[in-house]
Amino acid sequence: MLKSWKLKEIVLLSILSVVFAVVYLAFVHVGNLWAGLIGPIAYEWIFGIWFIVSIIAAYIIRKPGAAFLSEVLAATIEMMIGNAIGPRIILVGIIQGLGAEAAFALTGYKRYDLWVLMLAGFGAAVTSFIYTYVMGGLSALSPTYVATMFALRATSGMLIAGLGGKILSDLLLRTGALEGYAVARRRGAHG
Amino acid sequence: MTFHEMNPTIKFLTVTCLMFGLAFMYNPWTPLGVFFGTLALQFIFSDVSWKRWGLFMIPFLLTAVGTLWTTLVFGKEASGEVMFKLFGNDVTEENVMLAVTLSLRVLAFTALSLLFTLTTDPKRFVYSLMQQGKLSPKIAYSVFVGFRFFPILKNELMQLYETHALRGVPLETRRDRIRHAPKLLIPLLAGAIRQAERIAFSMEARGFTGEGRSTYEVIPVTRNDFLLAALLVALFGVSVWAGVR
Repeated sequence: MLKSWKLKEIVLLSILSVVFAVVYLAFVHVGNLWAGLIGPIAYEWIFGIWFIVSIIAAYIIRKPGAAFLSEVLAATIEMMIGNAIGPRIILVGIIQGLGAEAAFALTGYKRYDLWVLMLAGFGAAVTSFIYTYVMGGLSALSPTYVATMFALRATSGMLIAGLGGKILSDLLLRTGALEGYAVARRRGAHG
Repeated sequence: MTFHEMNPTIKFLTVTCLMFGLAFMYNPWTPLGVFFGTLALQFIFSDVSWKRWGLFMIPFLLTAVGTLWTTLVFGKEASGEVMFKLFGNDVTEENVMLAVTLSLRVLAFTALSLLFTLTTDPKRFVYSLMQQGKLSPKIAYSVFVGFRFFPILKNELMQLYETHALRGVPLETRRDRIRHAPKLLIPLLAGAIRQAERIAFSMEARGFTGEGRSTYEVIPVTRNDFLLAALLVALFGVSVWAGVR
């Protein structure tokens, strides 16, 4: 998978993962504070935050594996800098990354417009929710409540990760720092 | 024989498998057993600072409480005698059992996680993943670069704060700084991306190809690793037995 990757793309991937690992960890604490009060649903509406690096990395680098690897790396680094969820977070990263990656794979890694990015956010929401359902024992809750949780998470994935990721990447593109990457080349070719 | 010396990849696999197993256990005794068993093993085979352990545990106690009452209030309709009403929801004996189980599960997960996190050196973990887990050196060394990046990012962040303060953004108090932080994300990222490019070039200039390589620090696999893994698995086995019985 990494054969076609340039080293600078991999290093970029890792730097993005580091920055967002910090952001992710900050929001875990935000979520935790809430969760004591209103239960696990506290995480749902901000869940998209935790998918955003997949969308940004895939949008910038545009190679198979970008969405998956960035999420796994971010999770690993998050664990190393002190997320007490510990090794489980890597598993979470793998599962979320696969969900986002699936959306890009569906389009044959050719399209990176807003709809595909939002689909990636949705994909990550679906796979991560399956994981939450099993590990969190959500079968103990009433189906309506579970459905609400999923709806919140899917919306958050599409808006925060999909739309938010695109806005953030486009702002970065304007700074000129991404000149050497696929996202800038594509824009140059098509105007 | 301690968890600090245990091979990180084996430790990672064992702990993850146990957590997966726990997810399929719907009785309160199994997570309870795993929780206290993990503490006992940690007490015997490590010298973790219990004060740190306690601090890490606090947010998860909150989560456990949140899980407990969510499962009581929004629990599914379950059989059994109605014990009491909570916000209009009939709570049966089964509901209570489930709620206790799920919140104990949160605690058991956390105990296992902390056993791993507090006894594992990140660098050794990545080396071990490369040596035993066949992780690509390209990725492994990018993670190291990422790690080296923390002090650089911190410096850049300070610089950004100073330049913004020079231009008249009020940044005296801590609250000002936190409120201003989102506005720094783009310049910080842009700077980081430029640095990343330079680092990649200099790695290549020094002959880094990303192919298999020899390393100075060898992470061994010994008999003790399997012994500790077996202890953890045995703990899980006993807890399952105690719960199902």
